[in-house]
Formats: sequence, structure tokens, C-alpha cells
Amino acid sequence: MLFPTVEFALFFLAVLLVAWSLHRWNSTHKLFLLAASYVFYGFWNWSYVPLLFGISLVSGLVAQRIQASGSPRPRKLWLALGVVICLATLGYYKYTAFFLTTVLNLWAHVGRPPKVRIPEPLLPLGVSFFVFHAISLMMDAYRGKLKQRVRLSDALLYVAFFPQLIAGPILRASNFLPQLRAPRNPKAIRVNRALLLIVAGLFKKVVISNLLATRLVEQVFAAPQTFSRGDVLLAIYGYAAQIYCDFSGYTDIAIGCAMLLGYRFPRNFNAPYTATNPQDFWRRWHISLSSWLRDYLYIPLGGSRGSAARTCVNLMITMLLGGLWHGAAWTFVIWGALHSFYLIVHRVWSGIPWTPLVRIRQTIVWRWIARILLFNAVCLGWVFFRSPSFEIAFAVLRRLAVPGAITLASVPVEMALIAGLAGQFQPLRWRKALEFELGSWPAMARGGAFAAAIFSIELLGPSGVAPFIYFRF
Amino acid sequence: MRGTKYNSVSQLAVVMAGFAVTILLLESGALLTWADRLDVGPARSGAVRVTAALHKTLQPLGVEQVRKESLDGLDRLGWTDDPARLLAAREKFALGVAGSNSPCMAAAHAPNAAVAKAVTPVVAGVPKLTPLKPLPPAAPGETRVVALVGDSMMAVGLSDVLLRQTATDKNVRIIKAFRSGTGLARPDVFDWMQEYPAMIGDEKPDAVIVAIGANDGQGFVEDGKTLAFGSDAWVKVYQQRTADFLNLLTENGAQVVWVGLPPMKARAYNDRAAEINRIAYTVVSQNPLATWWNPQPYIGDEAGGFRELETSANGKTTRIRAADGIHLSDEGAALLVPSLIDWLNPTPPPVTTAQVTPQETPVVQASRHHRGARGRTARP
Repeated sequence: MLFPTVEFALFFLAVLLVAWSLHRWNSTHKLFLLAASYVFYGFWNWSYVPLLFGISLVSGLVAQRIQASGSPRPRKLWLALGVVICLATLGYYKYTAFFLTTVLNLWAHVGRPPKVRIPEPLLPLGVSFFVFHAISLMMDAYRGKLKQRVRLSDALLYVAFFPQLIAGPILRASNFLPQLRAPRNPKAIRVNRALLLIVAGLFKKVVISNLLATRLVEQVFAAPQTFSRGDVLLAIYGYAAQIYCDFSGYTDIAIGCAMLLGYRFPRNFNAPYTATNPQDFWRRWHISLSSWLRDYLYIPLGGSRGSAARTCVNLMITMLLGGLWHGAAWTFVIWGALHSFYLIVHRVWSGIPWTPLVRIRQTIVWRWIARILLFNAVCLGWVFFRSPSFEIAFAVLRRLAVPGAITLASVPVEMALIAGLAGQFQPLRWRKALEFELGSWPAMARGGAFAAAIFSIELLGPSGVAPFIYFRF
Repeated sequence: MRGTKYNSVSQLAVVMAGFAVTILLLESGALLTWADRLDVGPARSGAVRVTAALHKTLQPLGVEQVRKESLDGLDRLGWTDDPARLLAAREKFALGVAGSNSPCMAAAHAPNAAVAKAVTPVVAGVPKLTPLKPLPPAAPGETRVVALVGDSMMAVGLSDVLLRQTATDKNVRIIKAFRSGTGLARPDVFDWMQEYPAMIGDEKPDAVIVAIGANDGQGFVEDGKTLAFGSDAWVKVYQQRTADFLNLLTENGAQVVWVGLPPMKARAYNDRAAEINRIAYTVVSQNPLATWWNPQPYIGDEAGGFRELETSANGKTTRIRAADGIHLSDEGAALLVPSLIDWLNPTPPPVTTAQVTPQETPVVQASRHHRGARGRTARP
């Protein structure tokens, strides 16, 4: 079920009504949300609901075993078992064909590879997200971050909760499970904030992202050879805006929906293209994934506690695996490698203690230069991220050298591009002021304004609904 | 009082009530359209009943007029991505008329009267090998205009690779006339009889490559009756729609290759694709300007089934289908494209006498040019 559809609107209104009717009976309330989450997931393909249930159950049981074990050894064994099951599931569905074809292709360089039957399972929707949730639950139990005993029903809902189920944000068990302990407070719902998030998310996805995708990016990346420098550059910047609006739009809607149900989700994006260095970028882009990778991969690898060389290796491993998490293709690995390179260069650069350079780095002019440089470096990464093959990625980059007229810069495309990129520079206080302003309106008028906003988005958006980019991860 | 941060559940209920009332007033027509476009079945019938009743009740209030005027305004600005709507808006505002059915649109709707309406029995199976006879070479200096038509079977993979491989060929000009999520089964959702003329505009393609039908394995409503997919009545209507569409494609003498649906991963879906292929083959094989082409020998396994991976002669293994088990990957499309380019037979670039051996005919030269230049990897 896609968020910007009538089906989801009807589903969510029904869930909202029933969930709040049941809020006094917390167990029933949670059971209902769990059932609703399976309906939401089953709407795509019922045959994968048992997989979702199985992963949730395993992680819940393992978390309980870890908590029940007194000594470190069994705790470690239980954790290892749970993580292996989760990663094996992810590996089977997402990486088997990629891994085997890579091996066979390497083999082909030295001799005739054997004929093997490569399993070709259909990729379950959102598998990367729910597997990461499951790992977070077990890791938080292992690290003693869960103050209370894990209840199986809570574990099931934590992994499957529908607003975050198929494209995040990736919740931490230590943040979300405590919210499931007590009934939701029916007098403390941030309705205005939630409505603003949903409207902003829908606008970003339905209008900006879809428009840029259909009228600019898809055309250029389909056949870059037929376009020249202006169009190609426009499409690269267009994709930067498209993927930001697509993914942050999805998480805005997810956070807004959870908020209306009385739950808090963490912020997942914070104006990433305003970042002035790669580290800052990763604190603003897909925050829930980057912090997951930092806490469960980079720090266990040693983080920055070792030598400079060891830190660089840790960064590289983290970013390469982060790239591979996005998709089973070498283009994603290169995307991760590019970002690890940026992070390493930044570490070296920012570590130079020469005083004049330190002073220059603090000036506004330099911050803007750094912002523009970083944005273009990020865009270079997006070329590999978006391209289905290296051939296309390099064709796109080669066409940047070919002069020619801009043919795709229509008024809607230009407006969407400006809104998608410049919108990130709007001050946070504007949003807060709007939220408080809305609070002074009568409730009925707020509902009317929300409907009018949805109506405008529906008119402005291209016909049809493109799936969210992050669904395929 | 300045706004408060938190609200109670009763305030939330009032907000949602305000939302529901306003959205029904503004969008009752759009909701009816949504219900109409659902897959045929009991859910659709119920949704249509409810939304039609709502629309009937709310329409007299005139609020929905806001929607119509807003859409007209946006169309006038060129905001819409729907070719037929854009064309209608241009004509409407150019002529200064209020009606929405321009003469052009009316003409686009009309099926070709010259073609007999008799419905031929659908074949039991499609031939596996369907060789494509190359088109006569274009005259020197003449550009061959080629329309790529269809749903996502054309939009994903196939059109990309065709565009890339013809990008540097001055003898070929491609018109993109494809749209994902469309088909011939549901003209209420996307009417190809209207959209195709709008998509090609003033162009008159010499050749058309069509890949369509992946979304057509569903029932539809015809003259108020619900027709289940595959029923006799469904087949009859779908066959006629396919024939009308093919007549539209060929009405200016364009040569057409109708690319059949490849084997699909899910068995139930594959069965439906096979049914669509049988109907398309039946229709296309009756039109002298069109050829139905079976992609299965290139993209399927030896038994005619689904194949996800391809191992080339040099031992390299690649994924030839998208992860959904429906669409083609670029590598998969690349297995089909050489045959399609051979069929298009664009004029080869001038060659020196030394390069031409006495035995070579012009047709062979063209074929070899494309094979050599683009690296043919397809199995026949």
C-alpha cells in the first residue's frame, strides 16, 4: 500500500479511529496495530507476511533469551545466532544472485565456470528495513539498553509497525519499546505538527519528486547519449532533489502518521544539502540509517579509537556495506566508496592544524564554497546510485563535456528543482511558527485546510503514482 | 490565544471530520474516478456505489467546479503530463471554445471504419520462432521515424536500450510514445485511442515498435456489464480494442512490430500474459502491415519458461529481468534490441569500395553494420 493513495487514506483513517477507541486497553490497542500492520504489508503480497512475522518472532525470542542469560557467553551466543539468522535472511533474498553472479564472472576470467542453478527469490518489500529493526532489538537487549523485559507482542509490533515498515525511519528498540509500555496519552497529540509533516511529505513526493522523475531524470538516465551538458547537469541536480524529496517525503508522512497515533519517530532528514562537510552530510541524510551503521558497525569495528589508518579502514568498511545495503549492485558499492573517500579526505583536511587555514575554514565565504563543493561531490555519487550500470554512469558523466541546448527545462521542472533544493534553506522557525499559528485555528478549519492542501497536491502532481525509491531497498 | 502544541483526541476527531467533509466536497468526482479504476470485483462495485451516491449528492453544490477550473488553468500553463489533456487544452484555448471535445479528439476516438469488425477465433498458441523481415532500406538522406509505443514493458529497459543504440544513428529518429501503468483493457484509466495521436502530434512514424499488455490481465466493465478476465465476452472486447489500436498505429501506412509479452516469473501472471499474447497474435497476424514478434527465444529458457540470468559466450552472467520478475533489465532488453534494429534496417553509413565485397547485398550490409557496431549478444 503506497502512502499517497486513496487506499492508504481510507486504511489510515480507519486505523486512527479504532486505535484511539482502544487506547485505554493498551494490549488490545497494540494487538490491533499489529494486525493493521500485517494487513498493510499483506496488501502488497500476503505470502511474505510469514517472513515478517518469523523475523520479528526470532528477534523477540532472542532478545528475551539475551535478557534472561546472566553470563556474557550465552548472551553473546544468542546474539550471534539472532544476527546470523537475520543477515542470512537478508542475504538470501537480496544478495544471493549478486554474490553468485560475481563469483561466476570472476571465475570466467580464469576458466569455464560450472553451471549452477542460482536461486531467484522475489525481494520482499522493505526487507532491509525490518531486518535492521530486528537486529537493533537484539543489539539493544545485548547492550542492556532495554530497561524492561522485552514482551513478545511489543517486539512483533516494533518490527512490523506499519508507518515505518517498508521504508523507515529505522527505529531504535531502546527508543520505541518504552513507548509501547504505557497507553498513549489522548490529551497530548501533536496534531498540527503531524498534519504539516504529512502535507510536506506528500508535496515533496507527489509533486516535486514525481515531476522531476518523469519529466527530467528518467529521460536523461534512459539514454544519456541523446542529451548534452545542460540537460545532463539539470538531470543530475534534478536527481539530487528527487531522491531527497522522495525519501524525506516518505519519512515525513511516516513520522506524521505515527504522531497522529500518539507515537514519536526520530527525525530522519535535516536539510542535508546545507551540509558543509561529508560528516555533517551524514548527520543530516537518512539519519536513522547512518546512526544505525555508526552504532552497530563503525563503533564495534573500532570507530576512530585506533590509528588514523585504522579509522580510514573502518570508515571504508562502513560506507561500502552501507552502499551495498542500498542495493545488490556494484554501482551502489562505488557510491559507498565515494562517500568513504569524501569522509577520509575531510578527516585529513580538517586535521591540518595550520592556523591561517583554520581561520579560513571558519569564514562564511569558505562555508559556502565547501557547501557547493560537497553538493557537487554528493551529486557525483548520485550518478552511480541512479545509473543501472557503470556504462550509463560514465555515459552521463561523458555527456557533461558535450555542449548543447537545454531542452528539458520546462517551467514545472524548474519550479520543482528550485523547491526541492532551495526549500532546504528555509528556517526551522517558519515551520514552528506555522504549527503554532495553526493551533489557534478551530479544529474544523484545520481539517478543512488540510483537505485543501491535499487537494492542491493532487492537482499539481503528475498522473499516476510512482513507487518510493527506497521501497526497493 | 496563540496556538497550542498538543491536542486532545476529541480535537483530533473534529480535525478529521473537517478534513473528511472538505475533501468529499472538493474531490467527490475524483473519488468516483478512483473507484471506477479499481480492479473489477466486489470491492470495486461497492466503492463505485458509495462514491457515485456521494458524488450525486454533492455535485449540485457546485464546489467541484473548483477542481475543474483549477485543472483547466494548470493544463493551460502546460503543467499536465497527459498528452491528450495537453492537446485538448491547447486546442481549446487556441480556438477559444468552451467544449472539451475538439474535432481532433473526436477523430482520435473513432476506430478505423475501413477495417472489418469480424472477430477471428483466438489461436490456441503462438509460434515460438517469428522471424522479422527487415524493412526495405530507407532512401539515401531519409530519416526513418520510429515510434516506441506501449506500457512499462516498453518504458522499462526496452525503450532505454533502443534509444541508446540508435542515439548516434542519423538515419533514425525516435518518438517516445509509451506510458507505464497503461494498457488496452482499461480505456477508462488511459485511453490509447486518444493518447497515441496526442503523443505523436504531427509526426507520421514510418515504423512502430509496440510492447503492451502487461497490465491487461484484469477484468473490466463494458456497457455496464462486468467482464471477467479470459471470459468469452472479455476476449471479444479486448480483441476488438487491440484491432482498433493496431489500425490506429498503421493508419498512415506505418509498419508495426508488436513485441509479445515475455515469460513471467509468477505462474498465474505468466498464464495471463500467455492469453494476452494469443489475442495479440490473432489480431496482428491479420494485418499486412504488422508482425507479431515472440521475444521468448531470446529472453526465456529452453522450455519457454522464465529465465532470470543469462550467461554469455564469454562466460559472463548477467541479470536479464528486473527484480519484479516482469520487466526487462537493460541487459535483457539488449538481447532483443539487435533484432529490432535489424528489422528497422536504417540506411548504413557510406562505405568505401574496398570495404564492400562483391557478395554482400545492401540488406546484409545494414545488418552487419549493426551487429558489429553494437555488439550482438542475443541468442536467436
